[in-house]
Amino acid sequence: MTFRMDPRAKLYLLLLANLMLLFHVGTGAEAAATALCLLLFFLSGKARAGVRLSVLYFGLLAVDLFVVPRVGESVLLNLLSLVSVGVRMMLPCIITGAYAFSTTTVGELTAALRRMHLPESIIIPCAVVVRFFPTVGEDYRHIRAAMALRGIAAGRGALLRHPVQSLEYILMPLLMNSNNVAQDLSAAALTKGIGLPGRHTCMTELRLTAWDFLYPALCTLPLLWKVVTLL
Amino acid sequence: MNQKFNKLTVPDLISVGVFTALYFVLVTVATFACALLPGVGNILLPAVAALISGSVYMLLAAKLQKFGGITIMGLVMGLFFFVSGHFVLSFAANIICGVAADLVAAAGKYRSKKLLLASYVVFSYGLTGPILPLWFMKSAYIANLTARGKDAAYIDTLFAPINSGSFVVSILAILICALVGGFFGQKMLKKHFEKAGIVA
Repeated sequence: MTFRMDPRAKLYLLLLANLMLLFHVGTGAEAAATALCLLLFFLSGKARAGVRLSVLYFGLLAVDLFVVPRVGESVLLNLLSLVSVGVRMMLPCIITGAYAFSTTTVGELTAALRRMHLPESIIIPCAVVVRFFPTVGEDYRHIRAAMALRGIAAGRGALLRHPVQSLEYILMPLLMNSNNVAQDLSAAALTKGIGLPGRHTCMTELRLTAWDFLYPALCTLPLLWKVVTLL
Repeated sequence: MNQKFNKLTVPDLISVGVFTALYFVLVTVATFACALLPGVGNILLPAVAALISGSVYMLLAAKLQKFGGITIMGLVMGLFFFVSGHFVLSFAANIICGVAADLVAAAGKYRSKKLLLASYVVFSYGLTGPILPLWFMKSAYIANLTARGKDAAYIDTLFAPINSGSFVVSILAILICALVGGFFGQKMLKKHFEKAGIVA
């Protein structure tokens, strides 16, 4: 059975990852919390993404621990190690974000946002954004196919040779289509009663389970331990 | 707050969502484009994004002609930056710039080309959020180096040009690129959408 976490617990984890970055917790605490977040990928049946991110994070951690102390005085090497350390410090946030993004459905997100009493004027655009991302990719492929058919910007790197033209030829059909999709979505959503006043119900039932409290609490421990030792 | 939002209807909100998604995709494209330039790339990210997404912004502004749309766009952008693992600060930067940009555009009743351009420039500064941690992390990295016994004067010479110079360059680049991108967007809007009668 795969483990499903409540979107609200995921939001808390994101906040936690951001706080760790803001307060510069030590490398040990950061690694411990990140390992816990990486474990979530494996628990949710996203083992491949989990392996990839783990290799990246622990690879950079190894660079920081074993290579950076030996870089010496070379400016170039110092710059490179700055980049590697910088990327590593950003990774906990990105890992938690990737987890939240890849495991939350539109229904869950809407239900969670409603439970958090956000106004509908924010929930609706959020749901549309999530729903619309795949459409953009699909449209892009159609546009490129149509361009190739007419022999415009065919081949690798051709887009970069006429950047302004590429921008116009790709973006304008995208915008045109988005405009139409916005109208279609509105019609569909209004038919389903999204504009009605009062409380809306959700297909997805969200319940905070014990795990939704335990796991984030576990992830908080490294940060907490750091704060305690500082005091 | 709610009073202003109430004027936006559900189709308006859906349009905001659709165009925010497009805008977010363009910012992501800009991120990847910038990642190709090692090191300095990230600093120019908001500028590149501002350069390419002018038409999205202009179309949204022309379509809605109401207060609140741009604000919500900034808010939702901030939310998605946060969820996709960017810094909490990007959330704040997007909201503040979103509201400010909305006010500027509203001053011209969403018709004045100049004020719309200005409002796009303001909105583009909201994108500095994702790169702000660069400056935060630099101090952490320096602390790291100092703790390992590197000479403080040496560290200063290493980072002096990256610090103040890059910040000014980044801010100026956003201004110029947002002006160019916004102007390009307005031109495109006129060429493709006004003639077709999609927006007035």
